[in-house]
Amino acid sequence: MDNINVLIIEDTIAESDALVKVLEENNYTIVTVAKTYKDALASFYNNKVDIVIIDIFLNGNPDGITFAETINVVPDSSKPFVFLTSSTDRKIFERAKLTQPFSFLMKPFNELEILYAIEMAVEKFYSQTDVFLSEEENTVISEEYLFIKKGKALKKVLIADIIYIEVEEKYCNIITEKERFVILISLTKILELLDSSSFCRTHRNYIVNTEKIVEIIPADNLIILSGNHKATLSDKYKDLIKKIRTLK
Amino acid sequence: MDILCFFYILILAKLLKKQDMKVEVKVMLVCLLFTFSNLLFSQQKISEAFFKKEIKERSSQFIDEANFNKAQLFFLKGKWDSTLIYSMKQLNAKTDIKELNDYCHFFRGFSFNKKKIFKEAQKEFENVSNDFAFHYHIKMILGGIALEQKKYRKAISYFDQIEQFDEKELLGIRKSNIEHNLGISYLPLKEYDKAEFYLVKSAKRQEADKDSLLIIGAYGDIANLYYEQYKDDLAIPYFEKAYEMSKRLKGLELKKIDVFDSKRKTARNMAVVEENRKNFKTSLTYRKESERWKDSLNNQTRIWEVAQVEKKFAVEKKQEEVSSLEKENKKKISERNRLFYFSIVLLGLLMTVGYFYREKIKANKTIRAQKETLDELNATKDKLFSIVSHDLRSSVNALKTSNTKLLDNLETRNLKVLDGLLQSNSAIVNGAYNLLDNLLHWALLQTKQSYFKIESIRLFFIVEQMAYNYKPLMLDKYITFENNVLKKDIVFADQESLKIILRNLLDNAIKFSIMNGFIKVYTQNTSENYCELVIEDSGLGMDEATRLELLKDTVLLSKKKNEDIIGTGLGLQLCKSIIKKNKGVFSIESELGKGTKMIVYLSKTLPNG
Repeated sequence: MDNINVLIIEDTIAESDALVKVLEENNYTIVTVAKTYKDALASFYNNKVDIVIIDIFLNGNPDGITFAETINVVPDSSKPFVFLTSSTDRKIFERAKLTQPFSFLMKPFNELEILYAIEMAVEKFYSQTDVFLSEEENTVISEEYLFIKKGKALKKVLIADIIYIEVEEKYCNIITEKERFVILISLTKILELLDSSSFCRTHRNYIVNTEKIVEIIPADNLIILSGNHKATLSDKYKDLIKKIRTLK
Repeated sequence: MDILCFFYILILAKLLKKQDMKVEVKVMLVCLLFTFSNLLFSQQKISEAFFKKEIKERSSQFIDEANFNKAQLFFLKGKWDSTLIYSMKQLNAKTDIKELNDYCHFFRGFSFNKKKIFKEAQKEFENVSNDFAFHYHIKMILGGIALEQKKYRKAISYFDQIEQFDEKELLGIRKSNIEHNLGISYLPLKEYDKAEFYLVKSAKRQEADKDSLLIIGAYGDIANLYYEQYKDDLAIPYFEKAYEMSKRLKGLELKKIDVFDSKRKTARNMAVVEENRKNFKTSLTYRKESERWKDSLNNQTRIWEVAQVEKKFAVEKKQEEVSSLEKENKKKISERNRLFYFSIVLLGLLMTVGYFYREKIKANKTIRAQKETLDELNATKDKLFSIVSHDLRSSVNALKTSNTKLLDNLETRNLKVLDGLLQSNSAIVNGAYNLLDNLLHWALLQTKQSYFKIESIRLFFIVEQMAYNYKPLMLDKYITFENNVLKKDIVFADQESLKIILRNLLDNAIKFSIMNGFIKVYTQNTSENYCELVIEDSGLGMDEATRLELLKDTVLLSKKKNEDIIGTGLGLQLCKSIIKKNKGVFSIESELGKGTKMIVYLSKTLPNG
């Protein structure tokens, strides 16, 4: 599991320092702290950023909103973001609200509030609300990553690294090259959200990343995966073989 | 000789008498004919209504023909010339309907007869076919014309043709009339038997009809009949009867002339009779009477004419009066209309004025009410100002003195005291900050400037986040804190305002708590629409009066009972306003010395609007 990369856009050093401190304590990785709109854009496009925390007012101008509007223009490269503001001035809010999905945090805020706000922003951005706060689930799935709530903070896992997923009631065991861990998510939801071209169900309890398949032994109902992991292939899902490109 | 002479005279007288009588008979006959035509006329008048009705009904099938319709109308009105013109036009149109042509010829013949152009009348009647409904009338009229022309035989043949029919079939011709005419026709032919037969028959019918004038005429005719035959004994009673009857006649206005005429005739007949009887004296009186009636007849005629002129004049005058009255009426109507419109306009004006006046009064009322609320608000604001600035001033003052102490201790390096002082400073600043924060939100709420959006919120996390800030404070007082809100509790509220509410309620709970107390936050789901969020503390509590005071609207708690703890009341006031804005309800349960429960009812569903 990797840390979440956060880009902070804040022109007041005292506030950004406090923010950096809180986030680092909770295992977030700060990409950089940008002080202007220009810097922010440069950092956003030159680094791998998972979430952006934006102060609305930069040097007295609502440049924070302009930034959000700019990154929203290209939907595929857009990321979740949280606005920070010290005023609930309605006019500013009316404008900020247009940058959907909209989440904000009033200054001053404490540790819990900022962590909560980040979670909310991720949920809203990937349109999977009520995940981190509920007791039944703890994972939001984007195209590239699984965002998993671990303790107070969020972690991410690159989906391409997943070898297979073993379902156990409402838990899912995620097995990657390096580690294995448990997430809370329903089977139907994970099947729905994962890319079906690379993830296939091979058994009632197995979802396999087809990229990681080393060998299929239909006679034994067995799939050998990279890292010598094994998964079961039940009769019901044997059609899978036709879909996989094999060397002849 | 004497005797011889006497006889001679007697014979002479007798001869004379005969000669005289012949003369008289001739006179009487003339008079009789006169009477006859007169009678014919009056009898026709009686049955005229019936006749006209019949004409109208029977010819109504042709009223689509404009000319015929006009001819018919003029005919019914008795305007003969016009009838002739239009019936001629209709005939010229050459329609092939036989009945229509019959009507036209009939109208023309009738009209010619009325105008006494008998030859033309006869010609027209000849053109009428025999099956025409009114051909009995034609016979009757032709008979009348023959009688007029003294062609008695011809007349009798006409009358005979129709005599045997019923009155119903005759369409308005009186049977008595026919019999009378027959009687009269036989008279000059000296066929007295037949004349007598018809005249008596006619007289009897007329007696039955009870028309005195006709009866008198009939008696006169019968008397003449007998007289002509020298049956004086029979004739004289009739003459007398006729005379007596006519004497008794009282002229009704319309028939005055007829009545006078009949009186004159009967009187003259009596005079002739008496003269023949050699009663010259009585004869003279009768004659005089006759003359008198003649005079009065003339008079009457003149009077009638004068009356006609007068009537015409009066009618003209009346017409003038009517037209002048009409003019006056028109003037009055136009005046009335003018007055009416004027009053409508006036009324409208009055109503608008009234309306605006009322609007003005209403506006004034609202303005006054607004002024009152504004004054009140202004007073509240001033009070708030003084309290807040007083609080801030004392806070800052405490900070000032504390800072001086801090500097002193820093010089002496008394680090232990330093720690305590910094702790207290932090507390003071915290309090001041909360006060300022509330003040800001209050101002924002009053001016409705802040962003406000009601959405679903998981209550547990918000409580956690808010309690996080107060952990050190609670630790200070050794207060145990429990957040027992369920993770699944969801309410609908604006997140920022919910935070303000929680901050204030927690702040209050800590403020009024004693050492080693507890604060519990939990929810009660007793109601379907509301989630009750309870913030319970084991603090000082409050009495009922304070509780009610706190729940009252827009009252700032300025009484300072506990000098160091009780604040401005601004926080609670703010809470109440915000809860209201979130469509929630606020209540307090408290027991003095035991603790307080602050309860916020938050909507479980998205409130409308």
